[in-house]
Amino acid sequence: MLDKGSIISNISDQLRIKRQESARGKTHNELSNTVNSQADALKVKNVQIKQWADKEQRAEAQIHIRTKAMDAATDGIFIIDVKNKDFSVIYSNQAFQTMVGYSRKDIIGKNYFLLYADIADLRIAEEIKNTLQKDESFQGEMLNFRKNGDKFWNYLRISCVRDVNGVVTHYVGIQTDVTLMRRKDFEIKEQREELLHVTRVGKLAEFVSSLAHEISQPLTSILSYAQAAYRMLEGKDSQLQEILQYIINDDQRAAEVIRRLRSLLKKSDPEVKPIDINKLINETIELMATDVTVRNKVIKIALEPKLPNINGDRIQLQQVLLNLISNSLDAMEGRDEFRELSIRTSLNGSEEIIVEVKDSGCGIPKENMKKLFSHFFTSKPDGLGMGLSISRSIIEAHGGRLEVKNNPEGGAIFYFTIPVGGGVKEWS
Amino acid sequence: MAKKQIYIVDDDESVRRSLGLLLSTFGFQTQTFSSAEEFFSMVSVNDSGLLILDIHMPGLSGWTALQRIYAGIKRKVIVITADKNGGLMERALKTGAMGFLQKPFEDNDLVNLINKVY
Ligand SMILES: Nc1ncnc2c1ncn2[C@@H]1O[C@H](COP(=O)(O)OP(=O)(O)OP(=O)(O)O)[C@@H](O)[C@H]1O
Ligand SMILES: [Mg+2]
Repeated sequence: MLDKGSIISNISDQLRIKRQESARGKTHNELSNTVNSQADALKVKNVQIKQWADKEQRAEAQIHIRTKAMDAATDGIFIIDVKNKDFSVIYSNQAFQTMVGYSRKDIIGKNYFLLYADIADLRIAEEIKNTLQKDESFQGEMLNFRKNGDKFWNYLRISCVRDVNGVVTHYVGIQTDVTLMRRKDFEIKEQREELLHVTRVGKLAEFVSSLAHEISQPLTSILSYAQAAYRMLEGKDSQLQEILQYIINDDQRAAEVIRRLRSLLKKSDPEVKPIDINKLINETIELMATDVTVRNKVIKIALEPKLPNINGDRIQLQQVLLNLISNSLDAMEGRDEFRELSIRTSLNGSEEIIVEVKDSGCGIPKENMKKLFSHFFTSKPDGLGMGLSISRSIIEAHGGRLEVKNNPEGGAIFYFTIPVGGGVKEWS
Repeated sequence: MAKKQIYIVDDDESVRRSLGLLLSTFGFQTQTFSSAEEFFSMVSVNDSGLLILDIHMPGLSGWTALQRIYAGIKRKVIVITADKNGGLMERALKTGAMGFLQKPFEDNDLVNLINKVY
């Protein structure tokens, strides 16, 4: 219901509006300009907001893909927060969980070093902590234990994550289970040491037996001379006979020493089996790989495929390869421009396999060619001069030959033959 | 009674000279050779006599010599060696040697062996 007063005020309102409208009318152009520009600003804002939203969505997608990628990685990945002084883990990926055997729930918030309980290598754990606390990154290997107690070798790399001011806020770690590699390394090391050992013992035995042979000869003649003289003096000079008897006794004493020495170094019987010579060469090279690398040399191989098996003693044949390869490495020592050693196999007709070891070393002076294979011949300060003579005995016992020639391009070529389907004789 | 003939083949001069000397004090007729080749060229297959043969020699080794002897005539051979190896004696006897002695050996052992086989 409208009373008079309200009608009046209504009119006056209308009047005011009218006035305002006329004022607007005056500045209509100005105003529409303002509105337009405001609308434009709004549009820009809208676009911006949309961009932000897109960006956020993209960031989210990125986080999502990163998380998935981390979980797909085969290395264990984890993040440690520096704020908590106790190395507590705030993130770990799937591979990490699998490696240590704990669930994510067990891992998050736990001290990284306590995950492995108190059986982990404390010395290394301390070293890692010290390195990290100096804001340096760590790289190394340690022996760890899974939840179920299984050992594993952990190849660990931890580095620092910094904020804009360069302050370390987190550590990010990547760890790889290198147990299989380690085990293989260990096996190779063991086999290598065994081969070196038998080769050394073999050389020593050969050395002693050659020495024994050389000494036995004069002992034989001394004994025979003394015995002959003793008999000639029968009934003539008992005093001289007594002296001769002393010589005889001492000769026999020396002979006994040699007999005992020889019985100490009895050779074991060869163990003859079918052997794939290419495989044996590859295995032997694998055993010597470290020596070759340390000495900055390379071994190239050219093995004829599908060679027939030979019958032989693998340890003995490995010794031959080892002796030839070591000699070649020695010959190339200190010649950095000559680094290449090559091993080749081939089939000669259908009867024999040829194995060739060629180097680019110092080669062999003509006057030494004939002496190489004799006992005790060496040009090395620490050599026994047994490697080649023992190798030749082994190859000859296998029914083959071991020969040498100089490489016209420099260096030496040693090669041996092994008959296909041969056997092994006992060698002396 | 004619003296028994002994041939000695050893590449070590001292060994063959001393052995010859020793065996002559036992009343044997001895002749020494520095190699198997020399022995084959100087002694006919028809000459009687026992051969004492060193196994470890450069050139024609004792083994090859042994094989050559036993491929042809039956000469009695005693093998001597300064090598020590388990299978050596067996191999020598299998190849046809009548006896085997490891150097250095006793005069009596050698003489007994000679008298036993020859
Ligand atoms: N590949 C080669 N190149 C040049 N000279 C070589 C080669 N192989 C061997 N020789 C020479 O032959 C000698 C004898 O070699 P051998 O293997 O018998 O004994 P060594 O190597 O001296 O000592 P070891 O008993 O430790 O093997 C060597 O000292 C060296 O002078
Ligand atoms: Mg050597």
